[in-house]
Amino acid sequence: MSDPGFPDRRRFATLLAALGAYAAAGRFPGGRDLLSAFTSSAWAAEAPSAPELVRYPQKTDLILLTDRPPQLETPLRYFQTDLTPNDAFFVRWHLSGIPTSVDTRTFRLEVSGHVKKPLTLSPTDLRQKFEAVSLVALCQCAGNARSLFEPRVPGGQWGNGAMSNARWKGARLKDVLDAAGVLPGTVQVGLRGLDTAPLPQMPRFEKSLPIDHARDGEVIIAYEMNGAPLPMLNGFPLRLVVPGWYGTYWVKSLSSISVLDQPLKTFWMDTAYRIPDNAGAEETPQQLAKVTVPITRMSVRSIFVKPARQEQLRSGARYTLEGVANDGGSGIHKVEVSTDDGKTWGDAILGDDLGKYSWRRWRAPWTPPSPGNYRLQVRATSNDGQQQVTSQWNRSGYQRDVIERLDVVVI
Amino acid sequence: MKRSCSLAFFVPAALAICLLTAASAQQPGSGASAKAAHLAKNPVQEIDLPQYPVEMPPGPNLSAFQQHCLLCHSARYVTMQPRFSRAVWEKEVKKMVDVYGAPINATEQQQIVEYLVAIKGPAESK
Repeated sequence: MSDPGFPDRRRFATLLAALGAYAAAGRFPGGRDLLSAFTSSAWAAEAPSAPELVRYPQKTDLILLTDRPPQLETPLRYFQTDLTPNDAFFVRWHLSGIPTSVDTRTFRLEVSGHVKKPLTLSPTDLRQKFEAVSLVALCQCAGNARSLFEPRVPGGQWGNGAMSNARWKGARLKDVLDAAGVLPGTVQVGLRGLDTAPLPQMPRFEKSLPIDHARDGEVIIAYEMNGAPLPMLNGFPLRLVVPGWYGTYWVKSLSSISVLDQPLKTFWMDTAYRIPDNAGAEETPQQLAKVTVPITRMSVRSIFVKPARQEQLRSGARYTLEGVANDGGSGIHKVEVSTDDGKTWGDAILGDDLGKYSWRRWRAPWTPPSPGNYRLQVRATSNDGQQQVTSQWNRSGYQRDVIERLDVVVI
Repeated sequence: MKRSCSLAFFVPAALAICLLTAASAQQPGSGASAKAAHLAKNPVQEIDLPQYPVEMPPGPNLSAFQQHCLLCHSARYVTMQPRFSRAVWEKEVKKMVDVYGAPINATEQQQIVEYLVAIKGPAESK
């Protein structure tokens, strides 16, 4: 998944070695998990693009992209439940000065700028002075599946695991802004966390939301994730949750909200995280879009979780294909699966509906009729009629919504 | 008789143990909830960040790469990338200087580009 370009011969050798090790250990893992579970630093030296599993504090084994700052991808096997466990939730920081210690007795969230009354709030204030709300929402990196773009683009080489689904509990950003009293003429709020840049001249990570969005009542300042405090690497003690929008807005360890009467000028809005100004975020290497805009709402997408890469299916044996689908907040209308490379399609069965901002799990029974190679495809349609596309490219590898393909060997 | 009896007990018991083991392996389980309870009570959270250094392939100007790039980020920012053209690598290095303010002069930038092209350049340049 996160290793396109990884030579097949080498992958096969890794797989053989892994099979041997697992056979010796008496375990029967499947597909890609097998590949990633076995890949150690010894292999990494020979095959740098092979996934390597590492365990960070408060986290389980995740796929290492980078260690300073940490970028850790969730293995797909964790997508077989509606909510991603906190310790398996993917990690993505931008700058190496990330918070490693927070004392909630002294930590404060500052609300300042174009307001009647600036506020200084402790995590306890947020719990006690504001109504608690809870929702399930998918957090997905704008560059999820960047490694699948062709031609390849530079950036975090994520597979499909730069996303996770959780139940968030917190206070509405609207309620906090109302308590501060937003003054007329406000256009945006600027949002910053505890992370700092390694050089003084480097722009600190900061994002902005239009004031109407910030006050829509759906954006929350979360202090709980799946019923527990957030892990440090996922933004303890407070994280902005912007349902339906890409993770870049979900500022971690949120410590400053500045209410602005002028648009925020920052690299992180003006240069980074921008997409071509058209519906499909489309351009070509030969003809780059002249106008770009900040990436915002997630596009409709679906992926396979089962079978995993390299998993072999048996001819004549009933199998349940599984996966997840999401969009940017209208909810999933249907998911269709093809087992003949897109010639014919059948509806998948949708799993529980956890709300329009959650992903939706799907499954589709399939009995492979005969041995051979099959190319599976999956595509989703959202409740507002958005569909996936057959091809897509942009220079930063953002907002991927290409119909997913998976090659499967049936024996 | 005795054998079938013990089998009748043994098989379901073994199955139950397998299922239980699988269930506890599937989710973070009891360990995680204990951890969560501990976190909820403890007002201070503190972690030590591990590092996973990676050995960089030899190439021209490796020392320039090490001296200038690793100040702000780990070498894995490069090792995770596929091969790219010289133009892409030049743009990436320029971005580090123009946007992130990395203090790297023009000569050093060129040296770093040479190294990146040597280890992650287009296949035909190898």
